[in-house]
Amino acid sequence: MRLSHVLIAIAAAPAVALPLFGSSYQIYLAELILINVVAAIGLNLLTGNCGQISLCHASLMAIGAYTTALLTTRFAVTYALALPAGIVVTTLLGASLGYPARRLSGLYLALVTLGFLEVVSIVIEEFPDLTGGVRGLKLAKLEFAGWPLNAGALYYFVLGVTVLAIRAGWGLQHSRYGRAFDTVRQSVIVAQALAIPPARTKLLAFSIAAAFAGLAGGLFTAVVGFIDPTEFDISASLRQITFIAVGGLGSVWGSVVGAVVLTLLPETLRGAKEYSDVVYGVILLGALVLAPKGIVGSLALLLGRFHGGKARLP
Amino acid sequence: MTGRIALQLALSGLSVGSIYAIVALSLAIPFKASRVLNFAQGELVTLGAYIALVLTSYGLPYAVIVPATLLIAAAFGLLIERLVIRPIVDAPEFTLVIATFALGLIIRALIRIHWQDNVYFLPAPYAGAAFAIGPLRVNPSYLVIIGTTAVLVALLVLFFARTKLGKAMRAVSFNPIAARLMGIRVSTVFGSAWALSAAIGALAGLLLAPVIGINPELGHLISKALVAAVIGGFGSLGGALFGGLLLGVLETYAGAMFGAAFKEIIPFAILIAILLVRPQGLWGATHARV
Repeated sequence: MRLSHVLIAIAAAPAVALPLFGSSYQIYLAELILINVVAAIGLNLLTGNCGQISLCHASLMAIGAYTTALLTTRFAVTYALALPAGIVVTTLLGASLGYPARRLSGLYLALVTLGFLEVVSIVIEEFPDLTGGVRGLKLAKLEFAGWPLNAGALYYFVLGVTVLAIRAGWGLQHSRYGRAFDTVRQSVIVAQALAIPPARTKLLAFSIAAAFAGLAGGLFTAVVGFIDPTEFDISASLRQITFIAVGGLGSVWGSVVGAVVLTLLPETLRGAKEYSDVVYGVILLGALVLAPKGIVGSLALLLGRFHGGKARLP
Repeated sequence: MTGRIALQLALSGLSVGSIYAIVALSLAIPFKASRVLNFAQGELVTLGAYIALVLTSYGLPYAVIVPATLLIAAAFGLLIERLVIRPIVDAPEFTLVIATFALGLIIRALIRIHWQDNVYFLPAPYAGAAFAIGPLRVNPSYLVIIGTTAVLVALLVLFFARTKLGKAMRAVSFNPIAARLMGIRVSTVFGSAWALSAAIGALAGLLLAPVIGINPELGHLISKALVAAVIGGFGSLGGALFGGLLLGVLETYAGAMFGAAFKEIIPFAILIAILLVRPQGLWGATHARV
């Protein structure tokens, strides 16, 4: 058994046993962490691997959340169908943003995704009859294909989905598509020389990132039971970018570590909740300036030095 | 729509557009010099208004508050360039975009911690009831905004055409290496560009404060200024002015004709459309696709 498997088992044990000893708030917090992990994995594939800036990951999550919420509340669709429907809608909208944006990069992509973010929040706010507008949307108790989703069941559902998402993210990253993402990030010219179509690869990265965001949004709806546009504004997008920049760009475990550490961090600063944006901002700035490889990347470098071998990113 | 209403709308559109234009200009100046787009510029606008608020609380007259605010803001711009931007100016674009966003997040959060979400009004000597010019009702604040923009643009034109520092900025934006070889201190030029930009941002804050009140979200108009900058083409000062005025007028007419939702969406529809079709802007040169 490899060291990494032992580490994963040690980390997973309390996560599996949590409902046995945790308070309902701790379970809720753990669910939020898992959702952030899902969102971060998607963003990291797009930004860390494929090298595309996206400032609208939170809006894609909003699209997933609202689609799931509207289907379950207004059309009485079971959550078992509403969640996949949310993922499909988000993926399609993400692809329809990615299609025209596939030829842009850098600053121009940042601006287009920022524009998309504004448009989504305006649409949510300006159609209150459908979306609840700025006052938000409250959900009824959810049922999953006839079964009521109580607290424990919901937790294990979110945990299971997150494990699958980590596995999928890992698999994608190590597939030919993941390697194509990395190539496009490093050099578009090299990618073309290797017969990797950059535009189509970017479009794929956009769609995959959107699918993860839609999934995260659908889970968020079920866990929180109430959604409003402020949950999905630019600071939310920046928080997700902080997860991957601090955890490690281009690494699935970086997304996991970043999301876990940075979701827990504001909790340790209880009583100073209003400082959380400042803390996030300072950590993000510090990570960009001081540790561009993130926690996981820096640890891998350290371990590599320790073993005297070549550093390998997980 | 009668002619009178159309004129009235044009006036308010121009004053809104002037604010967009000022902020777009303040975005363009450091972008021209150092190729860094400052996404924290909105927060510098907010900060300018709060600096003026603090100075007002000391009972200073308005004629002192305005220059003092601009100077303090300029010093702050210098500080940002020195502490945050200079260490990462050669980093990938991702780092620069996110770093300036993070900076804005920190400033906004700090302002919110200190002043909460309260709205403060800055007493400006020129603010007063609207008066009539011919058939038009004119808010004096609007006139001051439009007038200040005109003066600012004239001063900037003189600055870039006549002064040594202005010419140095143009040289650096044209070719930093050649400029350095000609004996221009590029780091000084970067610093002055950020100081100038921060001061212009603060000026926008001062102009906005009597109209919509001082609150932590004042800087949200950055997104409109970005649209204006995109319309004009990045780094083009004339383009920024043109883009700001066009956007203000367009948005005001759209709001009057098709309702508020349309008014909110139209700038971003324009933004996305222009970036996809013509990323160098309607005005900019053709090499802008980075």
